[in-house]
Amino acid sequence: MDQNRRGARASYVALTIFLAVWIFMPSTVRRFNREAFTEFQAPGLHLVSKSRDLARFWELKSRSSEEMALAGRDLARVNAALELKLASLDDVRRENTRLREITRYTVPADYMSVVARVATRDSSSWWNRIVIRKGRNDGIRPGAPVIFGNSVVGRVTAVHLTTSEVDLVTSPGFRCTAFLEGDDQNSIVLINGLAGNSLRTPQARISVIPNDYSTGTLQSPKAFTTGMGGVFPSRLVLGTVDLDSKATKPGSSFKEGRLNPSRELYNLQEVSVLVPLHQNPGEALLQGDQFQ
Amino acid sequence: MGWAWLIMLLATYPWLLGADLASDVLARGGFVVFISGVCIVAPCRRLRPIQAIPFAACVGFLFEARRPIPDGVLAFTLVAISIFLTANKPLLRNAPGLLRGAIISNTLACIAWAAATALALSTTEAPSSNSALTHFALQVALAALIGAALYIPISLVQNYAMDRIGVPPAADTP
Repeated sequence: MDQNRRGARASYVALTIFLAVWIFMPSTVRRFNREAFTEFQAPGLHLVSKSRDLARFWELKSRSSEEMALAGRDLARVNAALELKLASLDDVRRENTRLREITRYTVPADYMSVVARVATRDSSSWWNRIVIRKGRNDGIRPGAPVIFGNSVVGRVTAVHLTTSEVDLVTSPGFRCTAFLEGDDQNSIVLINGLAGNSLRTPQARISVIPNDYSTGTLQSPKAFTTGMGGVFPSRLVLGTVDLDSKATKPGSSFKEGRLNPSRELYNLQEVSVLVPLHQNPGEALLQGDQFQ
Repeated sequence: MGWAWLIMLLATYPWLLGADLASDVLARGGFVVFISGVCIVAPCRRLRPIQAIPFAACVGFLFEARRPIPDGVLAFTLVAISIFLTANKPLLRNAPGLLRGAIISNTLACIAWAAATALALSTTEAPSSNSALTHFALQVALAALIGAALYIPISLVQNYAMDRIGVPPAADTP
């Protein structure tokens, strides 16, 4: 009888120890080895991504000289058009500087642009991420916006020595505010990624759209960043708006819609990371947040 | 022999990296090529529990390192599966048993990480339940298929590595 009681007590002790280990050990172990495992994987990702670039290089190199001449001619035309545009932009820049001097306008947070190649992509119902081949060594910090041209790609969520993880606009963890094209009242809407999109192009949700907003004559109005919150500069394109009547609850004073990203996010080869020269509130919020 | 688990991890790593690259291809559809559960079956047949456990934990943590999933869920699930498998080696005594083990282990591990991630992240983002459930079911089915398809090539490499480092062969009728 005593032995049975002792055995039962021992099993409770074992269960308690097991539960304590189950609760406390994973976070401790993971905090300790997450960085180690990521750095262990980083050379592999670099190697694969660089071999992909090399294969592309040799593929281009094997093109005939006729093809290259045609491509060169097209590029010369594009160059000529861009030179004209550059000259007009120079005028705009001078005008901008003059107006800023007149109004004594203080320039918002400055950014340092870091161009990075995409190493790998990963997505599930709960995250849409890419890994880029630039990290802490290149000055990238968590929370920095990631763009391609004037379109938002996402936001840096984790930074390692030579790689960084970027949460895409369509990732459920992504949130930002936006203005809609064609909205004269400049109402602020909310954008956040959508979970559970299988076998479909990932999308984001647009909420808090005023009921009186209509796309009017615009076929696919765009959503732009507001510049509020200090993470994204203003007037970057987030994507095109698709008003979804089914998603709007009857009697609600707001509409909901879907955001189609302006770029094919899973075809990107290269992105720019805008690293703020000064720490912004978004970065501060990200520090220590493992899921963001 | 003490480092057998680490050598096995190095031998398995190319498969894990390959799965990450395949996930890259499937990223547009929102799927992950999940092989962590398959990778632990062949080693569990031959390694001792003390070697199989760190191996399973490391395979789990390698998957978790790049993904925003709750701490240790996959690693501990794989450890639990490896404890069960090393304690019940007769279940893995023949080829059908091993294949069944690979499918079940991969499916269970996949369910564990998908469910844990859903529970952890649903506090901040409530998905539309239909699409999330469909996706969950498809991901689990894909994991089972991958388990069946990749078990043999993965186990061939792992068995070769275990032969080279002198791990004793598994008894046919333990």
